[in-house]
Amino acid sequence: MVKPLHRKLLRDIRRHRPQFIAITITIFLGVTIFGASYDSFQNLQASYDTTATEYHFANLTVVGGDSDAIEAAVGEVPGVEFAETRATADVPFRLDDTKLLGRAVGLPTDSQPDVNQVEVLTGEYLSSSDPSGVLVEEHMADHFALQPGDRFEIMSGTEWEAVTVRGVVASPEYIWPARDRQEIITTPDNFGVVFTPETLALELAGGTPNEVVIYYNDGAENEDISVGLTEDARALGATSVFTREEQPSNAALSEDLKGFEEMALFFPIMFLTAAGMAAYVMISRLVHSQRPNIGVFIANGFTRRQVLRHYLGYGLIPGLIGSLPGAIVGVLLARSITRLYTDLLAIPVTVVEFYPATLLGAVAFGLVASLLAALAPALVASRVPPAAAMRGETPAGRGRTSLVERLVPPLRKAPAAWKMVLRGVGRNPRRTVYTIIGVVLSLMLVLVSWGMIDTIQNLMDRQFVEIQQEDATVYFTEPASTSDVAELLNIEGVASAEPALTVPISIGANGEHYETALLVLEDQTEMHGLLSVTEGWIDLPDQGVVLGQATQSLLNISVGDSVELTLADGATVTDTVAAFVDEPLGTMAYISRSEAEALTGTQLPATSALIAYSDGVDSAALRNTITELPQVAAFEDANVLYDMVQQYMVLFYAFVGIMLLFGGAMAFALIFNSMSVNIAERTREVATLLAVGTDRRSISKYITAENMLVAAMGIPIGLVVGYFAAKSAMNSFSSDLFAMDLYIKPTTYLWASLAIILVALVSQWPGLRAIRRISIPEIVKERSA
Amino acid sequence: MTIKMAGVWKTFGEGHTAVHALRDIDLTGPQGEFTVILGPSGSGKTTLLNLVGAIDDATEGYIEAAGVDLAELDIDETVRYRRENVGFVFQFFNLIPTLTALENVELVADLTAANGAERAAEVLERVGLGDRMNHFPAQLSGGEQQRVAIARALVKQPPILLCDEPTGELDFETGRMILDLLRRVSRELKQTVLLVTHNAAIGDMADRVLKLRSGEIVDDLRNDHPVAATELTW
Repeated sequence: MVKPLHRKLLRDIRRHRPQFIAITITIFLGVTIFGASYDSFQNLQASYDTTATEYHFANLTVVGGDSDAIEAAVGEVPGVEFAETRATADVPFRLDDTKLLGRAVGLPTDSQPDVNQVEVLTGEYLSSSDPSGVLVEEHMADHFALQPGDRFEIMSGTEWEAVTVRGVVASPEYIWPARDRQEIITTPDNFGVVFTPETLALELAGGTPNEVVIYYNDGAENEDISVGLTEDARALGATSVFTREEQPSNAALSEDLKGFEEMALFFPIMFLTAAGMAAYVMISRLVHSQRPNIGVFIANGFTRRQVLRHYLGYGLIPGLIGSLPGAIVGVLLARSITRLYTDLLAIPVTVVEFYPATLLGAVAFGLVASLLAALAPALVASRVPPAAAMRGETPAGRGRTSLVERLVPPLRKAPAAWKMVLRGVGRNPRRTVYTIIGVVLSLMLVLVSWGMIDTIQNLMDRQFVEIQQEDATVYFTEPASTSDVAELLNIEGVASAEPALTVPISIGANGEHYETALLVLEDQTEMHGLLSVTEGWIDLPDQGVVLGQATQSLLNISVGDSVELTLADGATVTDTVAAFVDEPLGTMAYISRSEAEALTGTQLPATSALIAYSDGVDSAALRNTITELPQVAAFEDANVLYDMVQQYMVLFYAFVGIMLLFGGAMAFALIFNSMSVNIAERTREVATLLAVGTDRRSISKYITAENMLVAAMGIPIGLVVGYFAAKSAMNSFSSDLFAMDLYIKPTTYLWASLAIILVALVSQWPGLRAIRRISIPEIVKERSA
Repeated sequence: MTIKMAGVWKTFGEGHTAVHALRDIDLTGPQGEFTVILGPSGSGKTTLLNLVGAIDDATEGYIEAAGVDLAELDIDETVRYRRENVGFVFQFFNLIPTLTALENVELVADLTAANGAERAAEVLERVGLGDRMNHFPAQLSGGEQQRVAIARALVKQPPILLCDEPTGELDFETGRMILDLLRRVSRELKQTVLLVTHNAAIGDMADRVLKLRSGEIVDDLRNDHPVAATELTW
């Protein structure tokens, strides 16, 4: 290429600065999002992996059975580096006025365990010389402002036993403080973890270890070993076996990580597609308007390859200017996001690395998108017939009756000006299609992110209002009788109370097992709604067990099938599946008290009471009154959990706000370019209309109507595509932990559509302003405008 | 008097780069007169036409057309002046490609009358396109397109018809036919016509011939025996 062509390229770009800036910004955003989200994903993955290796995070955890025998058996298995027993107990804690159902985990004194080590953040590790000294997990320590030297109480048997905080620790098992897979979301007022000397934990757990934690060579995951060990452990009476991947905290964090990974591809692809289409529209127009120049180039001896390279330059330049800084900003942002995230979640190890492949990949992504966009018009340019091009014979504009006039014949009688509007839509079908795709992509972006908010809001309402209808759960220090529960009704502010029994179980069918909790409810319970997958809201069946819908596929079972329910002590009963329920949080099992008592042949106690408040009750005062009762271990106010989730929603609003901004920018870039070209192509027509006496307002009205018509055509498609994209995104987050059934409020569709119309209106404003600057004498005299 | 110009200057640019497209033009154009303006490129022909059509402003001087002082018009009045008084015929036709011949004419007819479609059809019949009125511009020959453009200019029945190189894109036969049409129709409608061309032979059909050079009128000839357009040769 010769230098004057370079100059021409730069001057052309300068002349169409707003359009090229729009393309460049869209490429920049796409590449930045890719760099930031993909490197964040890699950094977080590395942080989790390093944390797991550094603290010997168990590859497999076995609960129940003969722990000593299991430890002895698995210790011999090749590939197992460490296996050790420990005692874990869910017991009440008392901190001043607060009682909560916490977890005590036994650790050896004086030295860290081989598996599931902890990071001592403040204070000191456990010591044999301090048998009542404990380590508090940092989420609990932060919430209750616990520091070394502080004291609180743990319920041992029926007595409160005072312990002293020796240190505050972080643990790979509780980065996300989940009680179990069925209770992923907890509040610090209801759940906390304490690491105690093994002797104390044994005392709390009933005298014998109840868990075996196993670490493979170098901590590497090995499915074959896991499958083999699971079989061995079950043979020795284990009631629950879970891998690192299934471990509650890790599983919750994995969902988050998956989100980063998907975001790293989904959003950049959308942005780069939009940028590519905007570039295509712009460069095609340039080539069209420069046909005589191209003819002159070729006639004067430029090769077609030189012409091709020249017009590829119109893609290369915005591609480079957008993707180079985009990649750098993305990679730098990833560092901040990683640090922010690991700080927020208190991940013990933060790995922030430079991944050259991400940088190169991000630049390549941006360049490929912009070069691909330039390729088609550049090829057209290189194939221009020089003689015809120099004569200025551009292909004649197409004229035909619009589809809508053919479908609605009365429209053929519309004023000519409005027919011009209708036919303008089909005048350049490819550009119209690209503008529509721009609208569709923008709506997708908006609905995916906004749909997430609506879905979570809806799921929370369903979980905490329609399913969990109790206002609070009262946990007893030891199994209580139904009459103990009834006594709660004597307390002012308690409108109703139902006994409930929660037992950990393993559901077995077709050779598969699923560990969960079985909730025994009153036969005519009014505290828990059951939403059947097939029948809508149902009453608790008299016979059979009701299971969470995830078990359907996990255990390959249907309604009417028999399942084995194995309790923690190894006792097994068989029951029939009465129904599957759709619950947003967790995958629980439910059974009526009469059915459970019939199966076990005994009268069952209550581990908790589900209570409903009287109208106008002071819930804080009621909480204090009930917590003071000696038989009460903890009081869980359902509203506190609900409010906590609502607070998390603020983060989602921020996320959606950013995505709306980005979606708006993307829509603006594409619609702005399409509309600018649309108006530029009409310059001669506009000038002619002005010359014959049409006023500028009317012309602006016609152009606006045409542009809005195109935007409006994209909206229904965008809403449908956006719905399915959002559904797919929500499905990818669904598991047995969360059932993310997409729900989008009707008003969301309306607001999203209005937002797009607004962006389209704003996008055409610069073009409409240009109409005011049109010089009629110059334009009408030009051969081709 | 339909057109009156006195001491009109049009200057592009300023200072050393200033170019005087028109210099001190004095001109009167009585109603119904067919004037051909001749001159080489850059002589100011089109500029003169643009000033009368109010699609450009004079730098200095007085222009009155159809009884209106053009310098006194605001934006809306200028639009109204063009809408009611001026018809344009351009060299490159400038038709809207997405509208049929009829609709192109109707578009302009709608600006001034309620029964636009009817009137547009009448005018197209008059210019000999009765059987082509539902064709799109791309389906018409150059001559036909120019006839549509003329129909578009005539449909408002403006007192002033401004034609800028109307035969520039046409072959000899078609060019003669278009000129004949213009002469015939403008005579019927008693229109004042200013026709710009660099083709001196066309002057033979005019009532009056103005010759411009470097922005000045260098000749103003009366033609008492204009020939029919069909008799022109070049």
